[in-house]
Amino acid sequence: MEQQAIIEANDPGTAVVAGSNVGKTFANGTVVALDNAEFTIPKGKFVSLVGPSGCGKSTLLRLIAGLIAPTSGHLHVHGTQVAGPRQDVAMMFQRATLLEWRTAIENVLLPTEIAGNVEDADRERAMELLHLVGLGDFAFSFPAQLSGGMQQRVALARLLQTGADVILLDEPFGALDEFTRERLNVELLRIVAEVGATTVFVTHNIAEAIFLADEVYVMTPRPGRIAKVIDVPLERPRELAIQTSPEFNHLVDEARDVLGAH
Amino acid sequence: MADTVAQSTMNQRAGMSLRTRRILTHAGIFALLLLAWEIGSRTGLLDPLFYPRPTDILASFWRVYVTQGNIWFHLYASLGLVLAGFVAGSIMGIGLGALVGFNPLVRRFIKPYVIVLEATPRIAVAPLLIAALGFGAQSKIAIIMLVCFFAPFINTLSGVVNVNEEKLELFKSLGASKMQTLRKLVLPEAVPVIMAGERLALTAALSGVLVAEFIQRDQGIGSLILTYTRNLNMASAFACIFTLTIIGFLIFRFMEWLDHRIAFWNHEDGLNRNAQKRQARWSKKLATA
Amino acid sequence: MMDPPKSNRPNALWLMSRFAPHLALFGVLIIIWELLVRTGVITTIMIPKPSSIGASIIDLYFVSGTIWPHFFITLTEAVLGFCIGAAIAIALAVGSSLSDPFRRYVMPYAIVMNVTPGIALTPVIIAWFGFGMGSKIALAAVISFFPIFVNTLTGLMQVDNEREELFTSLGANRFQIFTRLRVPAALPLLFAGLKIGLTTALIGAVVAEFAQATAGVGVLMNRFSFQLNMGASLATLLSMTLIGLILFYSMEFLDDRLVFWRREERREAVSRKRARAWKRRAETSGRTR
Ligand SMILES: Nc1ncnc2c1ncn2[C@@H]1O[C@H](COP(=O)(O)OP(=O)(O)OP(=O)(O)O)[C@@H](O)[C@H]1O
Ligand SMILES: [Mg+2]
Repeated sequence: MEQQAIIEANDPGTAVVAGSNVGKTFANGTVVALDNAEFTIPKGKFVSLVGPSGCGKSTLLRLIAGLIAPTSGHLHVHGTQVAGPRQDVAMMFQRATLLEWRTAIENVLLPTEIAGNVEDADRERAMELLHLVGLGDFAFSFPAQLSGGMQQRVALARLLQTGADVILLDEPFGALDEFTRERLNVELLRIVAEVGATTVFVTHNIAEAIFLADEVYVMTPRPGRIAKVIDVPLERPRELAIQTSPEFNHLVDEARDVLGAH
Repeated sequence: MADTVAQSTMNQRAGMSLRTRRILTHAGIFALLLLAWEIGSRTGLLDPLFYPRPTDILASFWRVYVTQGNIWFHLYASLGLVLAGFVAGSIMGIGLGALVGFNPLVRRFIKPYVIVLEATPRIAVAPLLIAALGFGAQSKIAIIMLVCFFAPFINTLSGVVNVNEEKLELFKSLGASKMQTLRKLVLPEAVPVIMAGERLALTAALSGVLVAEFIQRDQGIGSLILTYTRNLNMASAFACIFTLTIIGFLIFRFMEWLDHRIAFWNHEDGLNRNAQKRQARWSKKLATA
Repeated sequence: MMDPPKSNRPNALWLMSRFAPHLALFGVLIIIWELLVRTGVITTIMIPKPSSIGASIIDLYFVSGTIWPHFFITLTEAVLGFCIGAAIAIALAVGSSLSDPFRRYVMPYAIVMNVTPGIALTPVIIAWFGFGMGSKIALAAVISFFPIFVNTLTGLMQVDNEREELFTSLGANRFQIFTRLRVPAALPLLFAGLKIGLTTALIGAVVAEFAQATAGVGVLMNRFSFQLNMGASLATLLSMTLIGLILFYSMEFLDDRLVFWRREERREAVSRKRARAWKRRAETSGRTR
């Protein structure tokens, strides 16, 4: 009940991520990548962005990450306006983007190294995170010695190493096979719950979006906009089996209607 | 981030003028360098005997090409040899490369020799060949052939060996004969690599003829440079060297053009041209049928 | 190709089985060659008996030791020339990768240097730097410059957008992006350039020795060739191969050490080493706490 109230209040002071009238155009205003996005994400919530290619999912993520600046509107994270890359927001990409000349643990330590000096405590934390993503035994393997799924786990550990509590994931497991992806999704939910992060997750896959999220933003292209926000009241922790339940399928239909109607 | 986007569109709007402005600045800087050189030489900072003035080089260009016109004979002599040696050497290289490439056993046994040859400065055989074959064109051509041989040989070999396994299996599954696989798969796949080898070979040929002419100083652009330098006529030596710059540039452009023609599928323009041509041919065939 | 055995030290048996066929073939070829010359099938002076090459090798390398001073002079020339060429090339490439205007100013001159056959400068460089080692070093530097420059620049200019974005999102500055992303990513190409540069540096040193010098293997080569002492010439040629191999493999060794992530065995070795270092550090810090 209390959280419901926060969402309704639409107050950038209590919401972790809030956007008002956020727009982004490219190529001198001819391409509207994102049009007038209004949203608030409360602390600890998991939001999925789903929609066809080119509907502005990555654009919205990169705006929140401070990698690009909006052409209109305002974005706040933890109540302060986003003006560039920041410590409390971290991002992960479709490709693992590991540095192939560093071992897994050294890749995880990269954020710490860039921010300043690496202390023993940072090393311990990096090792814990590798254990958390299930790669404790592979800390000293180079990326080329790891499978695609393992590389993404390293990238996830690196993301957590930043200490950010807003986590942005752009199709993080999109390049992996179905089985690995499902397994990693379940693990992702566990890990995110454990660290209590606020998460925005981009995907093409409606079922995946619903399975993971508290709220699904269904987006449509030309111009890119958030067409509908679907609340996902399914209980947590969730098991893969809920994907066959009637409630789940009802939610899938709801999202598909929005995308189909477009 | 946002302003980089803005900048790039600004550049586009100012496109032409920015480009011309840039070229003008470059030309200006080049002119300043030349001027500094000229002044340095005239005020005695640079000894004009060793470091010829730009104006002297220009005058020499005029002399060797027009009033005396003596460079033509030497150019003609050198370039003829380059062409002959390049064609002979690279044909041998490609032929042997393909032969070796197709035969795994030969390939295995030839490998150590290739490693040894690769480490040897091939051009060092020049005095040996001249001594053995005597003065004259044949020893020079032999030297050029030798320096032209290696790059096409190696590249053909690796091009033929590194054909995509999956494509080979496809051909096998289609029941293609050895000859068909060679003509329709292996050669086209190897062509870009072979072309890269030819490019290196033609450049090497130019160096080869120069070394041959440095040792055997009878005629050719190399011996001309040597003679001019010995007589401390550095301006004329530089006129010859810059001639070689121009030739080198033309060779570079020519090989690039050839690559776009032969390995057209690696280049945007080649793809477009061939797509159009083939479509026209196709519809003509349909119309006649 | 046969795979090396799994253990780190190849055992004697494996080495034998690996090299025996090659040695056997080499022996047979030499014997056939010797017989062909002895029975008078090959009569040209150009092709000496293997036994006379062998005799020359023994004499030049072991009995009189004539070759060694020349050997070390050429080696020094090539290495020094290479170091100078590489230092300038890498400095200019780094500058060009960091600043667009700088690159625009450097590029035209680098291209002119590339299309001019560097060998053509031999007489001029000898006039400038004298008959001694200076001119050999200079020519080696000049002709090894471009391949190193262009490879380093290409390597540094490769941009992986997602990785750059990762660094930006972590708040990395330009210097951090350069040292932690651009430079390591460029290393494989840099080494490819350095290997080509080393080979060309050796060519530069030898060609300059052909043109005018008092010492070096090029001088020796010239002398033996014109004495029609083919056995000794080929033995001298072999010393150039030796220099080439020494240079190439020392660079290959450095490459293997520095770009360790490209080869499986090295990756595993480094991986083990870092794990050990980590454990040691954890132990010592645990003790101090
Ligand atoms: N840097 C850019 N310059 C110009 N146009 C861009 C740029 N980035 C994105 N766009 C355009 O903005 C629109 C939205 O792009 P975005 O990458 O956000 O889509 P997406 O939903 O992530 O698509 P996908 O699912 O394919 O990743 C597209 O039409 C794209 O072409
Ligand atoms: Mg995207």
